[in-house]
Amino acid sequence: MTNAALPDTAQDVAGRVSTGLHQLMQHAMPSARDIRFSGLTRSAGGLSRENWSLDASWTDADGHHAHRLMLMRDAAGTLLKTERTCEFAILKALEPSAVAAPKVHWMDPDGRFLGAPAVVMERVAGHCDYMVLNGDRPLAERLGLARAFLDLLVDIQAVDWQAQGLGDTLGLPAGMPSRHELTRWETEYRRVQLEPHPELDYILAGLARTAPAARAIVLVHGDFKPGNALVEGNRITAKLDWETAHLGDPLEDLGWITNPVRRREHQIAGHWERAQIVEAYARLTGHAVSEAELTWWNLFSCWKLAVIQLTAVSEFVAGRYDRVFQTPSWLFRPMLTMMEGLR
Amino acid sequence: MRPTVEEQLHGTCRILGTVVAPCVADPLARTILDNLIANLRMLAEAQPKVAGFLRADNAATLHLLVSLCPALPPELVSRIAAAHAAPPTDIDDPAALDGHNGLLRGLLAEAVVCPDLSLAMRAAVERFMIERASRVPMRYVPTVAPSAPSSART
Repeated sequence: MTNAALPDTAQDVAGRVSTGLHQLMQHAMPSARDIRFSGLTRSAGGLSRENWSLDASWTDADGHHAHRLMLMRDAAGTLLKTERTCEFAILKALEPSAVAAPKVHWMDPDGRFLGAPAVVMERVAGHCDYMVLNGDRPLAERLGLARAFLDLLVDIQAVDWQAQGLGDTLGLPAGMPSRHELTRWETEYRRVQLEPHPELDYILAGLARTAPAARAIVLVHGDFKPGNALVEGNRITAKLDWETAHLGDPLEDLGWITNPVRRREHQIAGHWERAQIVEAYARLTGHAVSEAELTWWNLFSCWKLAVIQLTAVSEFVAGRYDRVFQTPSWLFRPMLTMMEGLR
Repeated sequence: MRPTVEEQLHGTCRILGTVVAPCVADPLARTILDNLIANLRMLAEAQPKVAGFLRADNAATLHLLVSLCPALPPELVSRIAAAHAAPPTDIDDPAALDGHNGLLRGLLAEAVVCPDLSLAMRAAVERFMIERASRVPMRYVPTVAPSAPSSART
């Protein structure tokens, strides 16, 4: 066997990332010299992308610079096909806003430096815990964080996307945002489907029959959850993972966080449940929430989650994804139950 | 035949968990290994149930399809009739059972989106789907990534 036939080691991959990042930074900052990295490590998380953390330093005409960085690079097998250009534009647009998000530095949109599309951003202080609302903290702290997450969601919806030029970058939904998202995810479903799924087709037809109109077009995060945020003390320091952000219906993110199948991530039993979240959202935004419309977005959230899992199945079978997923049959009963709320 | 398939799968999980996993220091590799072990454990439990599930599911799916025929277009009804009239699948051939299941579920995927289904038919479809989902032997086994260090994210 020749060396060429051997699989890449983790060191090989890290070496290529280091070299590629050096080239990207040199390209972005031609006057930079003595570019140095330390602590380059790929984290265990990130189902859709490779997440690399590192410390970087360099010198230019302005002096010496040292930054804590995160590099997100598209994985060979991914659950979400997304555009780095859009993510970069969104993070740039958020910099002057009230939304806590990492400052973005550089982008490799076509992978010419890093081998796959990538973005490099500031590594923000804080801890990522997808169960932070139901962890060991006292109830008062958890409730404070739950309210802070909702405030953050409302801040995202308040971003002036028109003034920031995001309409051109992200594109406006064609027609109703609900139908637009349904069409987008049906396309993904048909792309990754390996076998018939009557359950998903039946629910899709129900969603299509009952798609609601939107009261406004806002910036939607697309995967709003504690697991995509950093918390330091009792403060949310950054909302992360903007690769699925888009322009759409204000109820889309609200439907994601009130989705019954993910209540352990987003809700605190007896204190911060669907009714309290909806009441607080209506108070913060001044907009009443239709129960039927929110249920539609709850159901859509589950259906989209099912499609993402089918993407994982497809990528695993193709030999491009290293975790084993199954057909999401665990979602079928809750989805069919939710459909009753749409009739 | 000993070791049986289940014994081999359970034994493989034991060895991976007790011998290999403690030596895997890289967090990403360890998370992937934990996922693989959890999935192998699920397979060890599920594998003996797959053929029985497919036999029962094929029969139940065909029964449901026939009951929906009054609301379906003639072309689909004729394909359902052909599936109904086909020679019995060899119940000792897992691939044949699985192939027939795919055929029937393809027909069902078309039938359930027909606009002329009555409320009673829709209720029957939903009961069937919920019952089937409760019996599917192979299920996703979530594994939790190791906790991230402070000031970093996973």
